[in-house]
Amino acid sequence: MKASLGVLALALGASGAVLGIGTLGLGLARHDERLLRAGRRYVFVVLVAALLAAAVMEWALLTHDFSIKYVAENNARATPLLYTITGLWAALEGSILLWGLVLGGYLAFVVHKFRNRSGDPLVAWATLVGLVVALFFFGLMLGPANPFKTLASAPLDGQGPNPLLQNHPLMAFHPPLLYLGYVGFTVPFSFAIASLVTGRFGEGWLAETRRATLVAWGFLTVGIILGAWWSYEVLGWGGYWAWDPVENASLLPWLTATAFIHSVVVQERRGMLRVWNLSLLIATFCLTILGTFLTRSGILNSVHSFTQSAIGPTLLVFLGVVAATGIGLIAWRGDRLRAPGRIDSPVSRESAFLTNNLLFAALAFVVLLGTVYPLIAEALQGRQLSVGEPYFDRMTTPIGIALLFLMAAAPALPWRATSREVLRDRLLVSAWVGALTMVVAVALGARELAQVLAFGLGGFAVAGIVRQFAVGTRGRRRASGEAWPLALARTVRSNPRLYGGLVVHVGVVIVAIAIAASSAYSTKREVRLREGQSAGVRGYTVTYLRSQQDRSGQKTTVSADVRIKRGGDDLGTYAPAISTFRNAAQGIGTPSVRTGLREDVYLTLVSSPNEQGRVTIGVAVNPMVMWLWVGGGVMALGTLVALSPSLRRRARPTETEEEPVPAEPALREREEALT
Amino acid sequence: MSRRALAWVALAAVLVITLAIVAWPRGGDASDASRVSSLSSELRCPDCEGQSIEQSSTETARAARADIRQRVATGQSDGEIRQAYIDKFGDSILLKPEGGGLGIVVWGLPAAALVLGGGGLVIALRRWRREPHQHPTDADRELVGRARP
Amino acid sequence: MRHRARWIALAVGAFVAVLAVVLATQVGTDPRADTNRSHLVGKDAPAFDLPTLDGNHVRSNELAGKVVIVNFWNSWCLPCHQEHGALVEFARRHAGDPSFVMIGIVRDDTDSAIRRYVEEEGVRYTVAFDPGARAALDFGTRGQPETYAISPDGVVQGAQIGPSDVALLERLYAAAGGRP
Repeated sequence: MKASLGVLALALGASGAVLGIGTLGLGLARHDERLLRAGRRYVFVVLVAALLAAAVMEWALLTHDFSIKYVAENNARATPLLYTITGLWAALEGSILLWGLVLGGYLAFVVHKFRNRSGDPLVAWATLVGLVVALFFFGLMLGPANPFKTLASAPLDGQGPNPLLQNHPLMAFHPPLLYLGYVGFTVPFSFAIASLVTGRFGEGWLAETRRATLVAWGFLTVGIILGAWWSYEVLGWGGYWAWDPVENASLLPWLTATAFIHSVVVQERRGMLRVWNLSLLIATFCLTILGTFLTRSGILNSVHSFTQSAIGPTLLVFLGVVAATGIGLIAWRGDRLRAPGRIDSPVSRESAFLTNNLLFAALAFVVLLGTVYPLIAEALQGRQLSVGEPYFDRMTTPIGIALLFLMAAAPALPWRATSREVLRDRLLVSAWVGALTMVVAVALGARELAQVLAFGLGGFAVAGIVRQFAVGTRGRRRASGEAWPLALARTVRSNPRLYGGLVVHVGVVIVAIAIAASSAYSTKREVRLREGQSAGVRGYTVTYLRSQQDRSGQKTTVSADVRIKRGGDDLGTYAPAISTFRNAAQGIGTPSVRTGLREDVYLTLVSSPNEQGRVTIGVAVNPMVMWLWVGGGVMALGTLVALSPSLRRRARPTETEEEPVPAEPALREREEALT
Repeated sequence: MSRRALAWVALAAVLVITLAIVAWPRGGDASDASRVSSLSSELRCPDCEGQSIEQSSTETARAARADIRQRVATGQSDGEIRQAYIDKFGDSILLKPEGGGLGIVVWGLPAAALVLGGGGLVIALRRWRREPHQHPTDADRELVGRARP
Repeated sequence: MRHRARWIALAVGAFVAVLAVVLATQVGTDPRADTNRSHLVGKDAPAFDLPTLDGNHVRSNELAGKVVIVNFWNSWCLPCHQEHGALVEFARRHAGDPSFVMIGIVRDDTDSAIRRYVEEEGVRYTVAFDPGARAALDFGTRGQPETYAISPDGVVQGAQIGPSDVALLERLYAAAGGRP
C-alpha cells in the first residue's frame, strides 16, 4: 500500500512538472501572461508531491516495511532510530528522492520570490528550466531508480544499512547539507539559461538570485568540510582528503561556484564578464550532474563504492543534453550579450578578480582531468591507470599558493586603478606581518617550501583583512564618534557582503594553514604492545591498558583502552576499535582521536589481541587538524554575515566602504620631486 | 632612499634569506629513507582502495614498505622499483601517472590551459590599455537619439 | 575578434564532446578489471621458503619438477569458506600423485585462528604461514582467495583471483601440465 502511495506521489510530481512545462511553454509561445502566471503554480504541486513521497518513505522506514526493496536493503529491525530516519538518503534511490525534495523547495522559493514578476518571460523561462530538471529527476525515480520497488515476498528482517553509514551520527547531516548545496545551483543555472534564451540581461535577476547562490555555496562548503571530518574521525584511514573521485565530484562545482561569487562582483560594478558568468553558472550545474554521474555509475574506483545501476547512462544523456544546450545557447547568443566594458589597469581589484577566476578555472580543470584520466586512458589505450594524491598535490599546490597570494593582496587594491604609492602604503604592514610569520615558522623548524609560503601568505592575508576592518571602522568612528565595538558592528552591517567575504577569507586562511601543517609534519608509527606496556611517539607516551569486547545486535566490537600521556600529564584514555558486522567479512576500524589545539593524537587498532595478548596500535601525531574544522566554521559564519541584510536600503554599485585614495599628498610629493 | 622604500627593501631581504634557508638542498644521508617514503607514496596499496603504501597499515602495505626499503638498500633505481611493481600488479599500481605518452594529457594540458588563459588575460589588458576610451558606434548614437524626446 | 564568444564556446564544446564520448564508452566497464586478473601469468613463479603448520618448511626450490597449486586464503574471508569444499575435494582427487603438490598459504591472519580452522574443517594438504607477508607480496596478491598454478619448470601458467570451484581447479591443473 505504501509503495503504491509513494509511486502515486512521484507520478503526481512528474505530471505537475509536465503540466507546468506545458503551460509555461504555451504561455511563452503565445505571449499570454495569464498562462505564465498559472504555470508557476505547478511548482507547488511538484513540491507537495516530493514532500509526500519523502514522507511515505520515512513512514515505510519507521515501520520497517520490508516489502519495499529499498527498506529491506537499507534498514533492519535492529537499526537505531537515527539511522532509520537517515536511511532516506542511505542509498541511490533515496538520495534521488532527497534531490527531488530539495529541488522542489528551491523552485518554490524562486516562484515565491519572483511572484510579482510572474508575467515576465525571463522568470517564466527560468521556472520552466527548473521544472524540466525536476521532471528529469522524477522521471529517474519512476524509471531506473525507483525507491518504491516492491519485493515479491517480504523478508522477515532487512539487511540494514551499510556498516560504514551506521558508525556516526554525522551521517545524518552530511548528505542533506551536500544536496542543499548541489541542488541550489539549479536556481542560478535556470536563470542563466533564461537570460540566454530571451537575450535579455541586466534585469536585476542576478542580484536577487545572488542570495540563493551564496546559500547553496555555503551549504556545499559545510558539506565538504563535514565530509572531510567524517573521513578523518570516522573512517579511520588517517587522513581527511583522499582525492577520491567522489570527493572530487563535490569539489568541482564548489570551485566554479567560488569563481562565480567573485566575478559576479565585477559584473555588478563594471557591467563586464556577463557571458563568462553565465558560462560559470552553466558549468557549475553541469558539474553537479557530472559529479552525480561519476559517483553513481560505478565507472570509477572509489572508496565510496556504490553499486552500478542503470542510472549511469541516463545521467550521461541528461548531462550531454544540458551541456549541449548551454554551449549552444552561448555560441548563439553570447556575442549579443557581451558588454563592451574594459579594465583600466592591471593593478586593480577587477584584474585581481579576473586572475582569481583564471586560477579557479585552472584548479577545476586539473581536478576534472585527474579524475577522468583513468577513463581516458582506458578508452584510448585500454590500460587501467590510477591517479592519486601525488598527482593532485603536485598540481594543485602551486595554484593554491597563488590564490592565497591573490587573496592577501586583492582587498587592498582599489577599484579601477591605483598608483604604486597607494598600493605600497596599503600593503607594507601586512606584507611585513606575512614575512615575520614566515620567519617564525622557519625558526620553529618548518622547511617545506609550499608550507612555509602558505604560512607567510596566511599571515599576510589576515593582516590585510584586519586592516580592512580597522580602516572601515575608523572611518565610521570619525564620522559618528561611536565606540569601537558599535562602530565595528555598524561598519559590517553597512556592507555585509564585503565584510562577510573577508570573514570567509579568514576561514580559508585557517584551513590553508591547517592543511599545510598537517600534510607536511604528521608522524605515524605502529607499536606492538602487551597489556601495561608503553611506547613513545613524538613526546607522547601511549600505554595499552586492556582490551574489551562488546556484542550488540548487529555488530561485535573489539576495542583497546589506551592511555595517553605527555610529559607527566595524563591526557585521558582513548579506545580505538575494530567492529565486525554480521553481514560483512572484514572488520571496520574506528579511530580514537585526542583533539588538541596544536596537534591531534590519532589512535587506530591495527590488529586485535593475538594469542600472546599483544595488540598493534597505530599512533599518529597530526598537527593542527582541529583548525580545519574551526576554519570551516569561520567560513560558514562569514557566509551568514554576507547573507545578512544591509543597513543601507539599496547598495549603489559605485559606493564603496573604502578609504579614499589619497590624491593631495601624492600630488604634493610629485611636485616636490619635480622642483 | 625614503623610509618607506627602505622598509620594502628590508622586507625583500628578509624574504630572500628565509626562502633560501628553506630551499637550501639538504644533506644526502636522509635520502635513502626519503626515497623509500616518496616511492611508497607513489605506489598504491594493493589491498586497499586508493591509499598509498605509505599511508596504509595493512599487512601487504607493511610488506611492501619493507620490500622497497630492501630494494633501495641494494641500489635499485626508482624506475626499476616502479617497474617491478608494475610487473606484479599492473599499471594501476602507480598513483602518479607517468609523464610520457598519454601522460601529456594529464600533466601538459592543465599547464597549457593556464598559459593560454593567462596569455589571453594579458593580451586583453594590453588592448584595454592601448585604447582606454570606448567609442560609441552609430547604433549607440541612434539608440540614445531615440531615447531623447 | 568578432564572434569571440562563439569560437570559445565551440572550442569548449569540442572538449566536452570528447569527454562525453570517453565517458559513454566507459559506462558499463569494470574499473577493477585490472585488479581482477593476475599479472604473473607466463612469468617465473617467485621463490618462497615458508614455515608450515606442522613445523617444517616448504621451499620452492624443492618443488622443482612438480605441478604446484598455491592457494592464498585465511580463516575469516567469506569466499574462502565458500571455496573450501572445492579445494578439499580437488586435493583428495590428486592426493596420491607424487608429482603434484598443493599448498595453502595463509594471508593476513593469526596463527591460532588458522590452527583452529584447520582442525575444525579438516585440511589435509600443506598449510604454510607467510610471516611478513613476503610471499603474498611476491605473488602480487591483493586479497584472498587467490589460486596460482605453477608448471614443473617454475612458470605460473594460470591464476584465479577470487573463489574457485573443482572444475576451475582442474583447468588450472591441466594448464600447468598436470596429467588428468
